[in-house]
Amino acid sequence: MKRQRWLASLLAGIVLLATGAAWAQSGQTVTVWSWFIASTMQKSIQAFEAKHPGVTVKYTYYNYAPEYLTALKAAAASGSLPDLIGLQPGSLTQQYRANLEPLDAYAKREWGADWASKIFPVDRRQMHMGNPAGDDSTYMLPEESQVLCIWYNKDLFAKFGLTPPTTYDALVKTAKTLASHGIMPMFQGAADGWQNENVYLMLADQRAPGLIDQAQAGKAPWTSPALVQAMQDWAGLFKDGVFQQGALGAHAYPTGAQLFAQGRVGMMALGSWWMQEAKYPPPLPPLVQNMQGFDFFMFPALAAGGHASPPVGGIDIGYGMTKAGAKNPAAWTFLASLVQGDGLQAALNDLNDLPSIAGPKPEGDISPNILAMYDRFMTALPHAENQRFGNPEIADALDNALAGVAAGKLEPEAALKQVQAVTDRVLGKS
Amino acid sequence: MHGARDAGPAAAGPHRQAAAAPASRARPRGAREDRRGVRAGLFAWPALLIFLGFVAYPVLWIALRSLAPDTAPGSPRGAFANYLRAFADPVFWIAMRNMALWAIITIPVQMAFGGLIALLIERYTRRSRAFFRTMFFLPVVTSVSVVAIVWSQMYAPYYGIVQAWLQRLGLTLGIALLADPRTVIFALIVVNIWQWTGFSMMMYVAGINAIPEDIFDAARIDGARFRHLVLRVVVPLVAPVTKSLLLLGVIGTLQTFPIVYLMTGGGPDHASEVFGTEIFRQGIVLGNTGYGAALSVLVLVLSLALSLLQITALGAELAPRRAREEAVA
Repeated sequence: MKRQRWLASLLAGIVLLATGAAWAQSGQTVTVWSWFIASTMQKSIQAFEAKHPGVTVKYTYYNYAPEYLTALKAAAASGSLPDLIGLQPGSLTQQYRANLEPLDAYAKREWGADWASKIFPVDRRQMHMGNPAGDDSTYMLPEESQVLCIWYNKDLFAKFGLTPPTTYDALVKTAKTLASHGIMPMFQGAADGWQNENVYLMLADQRAPGLIDQAQAGKAPWTSPALVQAMQDWAGLFKDGVFQQGALGAHAYPTGAQLFAQGRVGMMALGSWWMQEAKYPPPLPPLVQNMQGFDFFMFPALAAGGHASPPVGGIDIGYGMTKAGAKNPAAWTFLASLVQGDGLQAALNDLNDLPSIAGPKPEGDISPNILAMYDRFMTALPHAENQRFGNPEIADALDNALAGVAAGKLEPEAALKQVQAVTDRVLGKS
Repeated sequence: MHGARDAGPAAAGPHRQAAAAPASRARPRGAREDRRGVRAGLFAWPALLIFLGFVAYPVLWIALRSLAPDTAPGSPRGAFANYLRAFADPVFWIAMRNMALWAIITIPVQMAFGGLIALLIERYTRRSRAFFRTMFFLPVVTSVSVVAIVWSQMYAPYYGIVQAWLQRLGLTLGIALLADPRTVIFALIVVNIWQWTGFSMMMYVAGINAIPEDIFDAARIDGARFRHLVLRVVVPLVAPVTKSLLLLGVIGTLQTFPIVYLMTGGGPDHASEVFGTEIFRQGIVLGNTGYGAALSVLVLVLSLALSLLQITALGAELAPRRAREEAVA
């Protein structure tokens, strides 16, 4: 009897709990996974939820690698992806294309038939990067964009009588001056493939704009003279002392970024996202406050009489809607907010990063100094060259080639031949 | 107790009892024991289910996946294509070489340092024993992310922690150990030894404490010096611990991933690639799930083969005798 009573109580408890849980979930919930900085995402979510009281957004933050990549892989295999997933254009989007809903019809309904033409050209190209021939669907929409550049420490430059270099020779001289005063000239986290790719893209797009895009599409050889020259330029950055000693073993984050913010580094190849340092929770190093200690320039002219590198960039982060998300109407509502609505505005106010359309600007407590930088980036973005790779194996091969050349293990042309071999393989040419 | 009373004086064995007793009496007792056996077997089910769900099924899935070619263009075709690709891939052999170096260097060095530290702490300290044990064990429980960041900073020339000390002596650290393909794997091995020597020490602490005190007394009376005490008393008597560490060391070597991933990502130019980083790169980053699965299976087979080889060659006695006797009692 006692046991029966105990069992009855237990059952009643379970029923009550289940009812409570169901009641709690009676509103709409959107689940989102990404590597996007959690504090900024929370501001976007707050802005969204204030406008949509019946909807709750549950955001799960992961470190990009290995956590996020692994979580996506496991969830895709087990059919448990959330409604929205953060994506990079090209390879990451393509890996999950089968799990993603085409977004064109949603976007047309939300923003009109000409919605795509409002997105900056480089972002538009990247949105479809890697799609199979004949598939023009959009599987990811950009929330934010970026432009690569060389940031420099204004205080150190002023202290040592330096000005932003406009030629390669001036860059080498600047680096030597900084090094002679015990300052790391240009910090390169060359243990990270992404930072090496970024610098090489700046060099290659200066030598021959857009040639890398053609090479990765198999329309031009990687051993084109301009790309080989850019690889020699890359090796020169190590040999000429532009990068700090031991760059191949260094990481851009957290090491390089911390040293740069502390004033121990003269220059660093980063991008428009560096502005957000000014919005991190205090205490902030004085240099970072309102970005008063920093400014940026494009990579100086490599050839005598040449021009600085054109802007290189594109999508910083985008989002895709999974097949599960397509069944949840609130998922698209939140995605639209992140791409062109209150969610985006909240992220921009947090200085993260640039929008993918003209118009939105950061609002609130933003210094004129930062707004001026923002405007310069936004002027450059519509003309940016593509920063992304459509196939991860090609990007990986280029990373290895860059590391091999930097370590002195490979000659520039031999290294690019290896990239060509991988490109031929993945494009089915060999 | 209840079972023992039931068995009575004939508890020498169920077969003997069944043979001696008439069939009519043996049946109920056998049935009762069968029921007890079934009931006891039920207790194994949760563990068995967990094993099937979380070990056997993933291994089977990975093994089957390794036989399926990847869908990416240019991926090799055929049932064993992923395995053939591995044997033809220079990065696989770099990882194999690095794993061999890792095992050959880290396992004996960790054992030697760990054993020596354990002996010094257990035999030559009294009040400070707990303090030293904790200090040497601290790296084992320190987050690998913290270890990676701190050691990366220590190795960094120009701005690193070691450089800061050398600067006081007017010296400059001109070698970038993590940046040089010739030195990077050794630099990582040093970090691994630093982190895991404390684990070997703790294992040896248990082993040394299991040696009866009278053996040490007898050795001392016989005039054994420190060297003899170590080589002729301690080393033979902690042999089971050494075997365990060898087994764990080999398995741990093949599982190496976080410290390499965080410090070098397997670079520069694959120079510090280990199986873990290569499997992650292929299976997760590059999306070559089939090839990544094939590499995982190869590592599993290698791990099994090495474990069986060790057990066959060294025996399965992996715990100090006194500990085993106490467990049995």
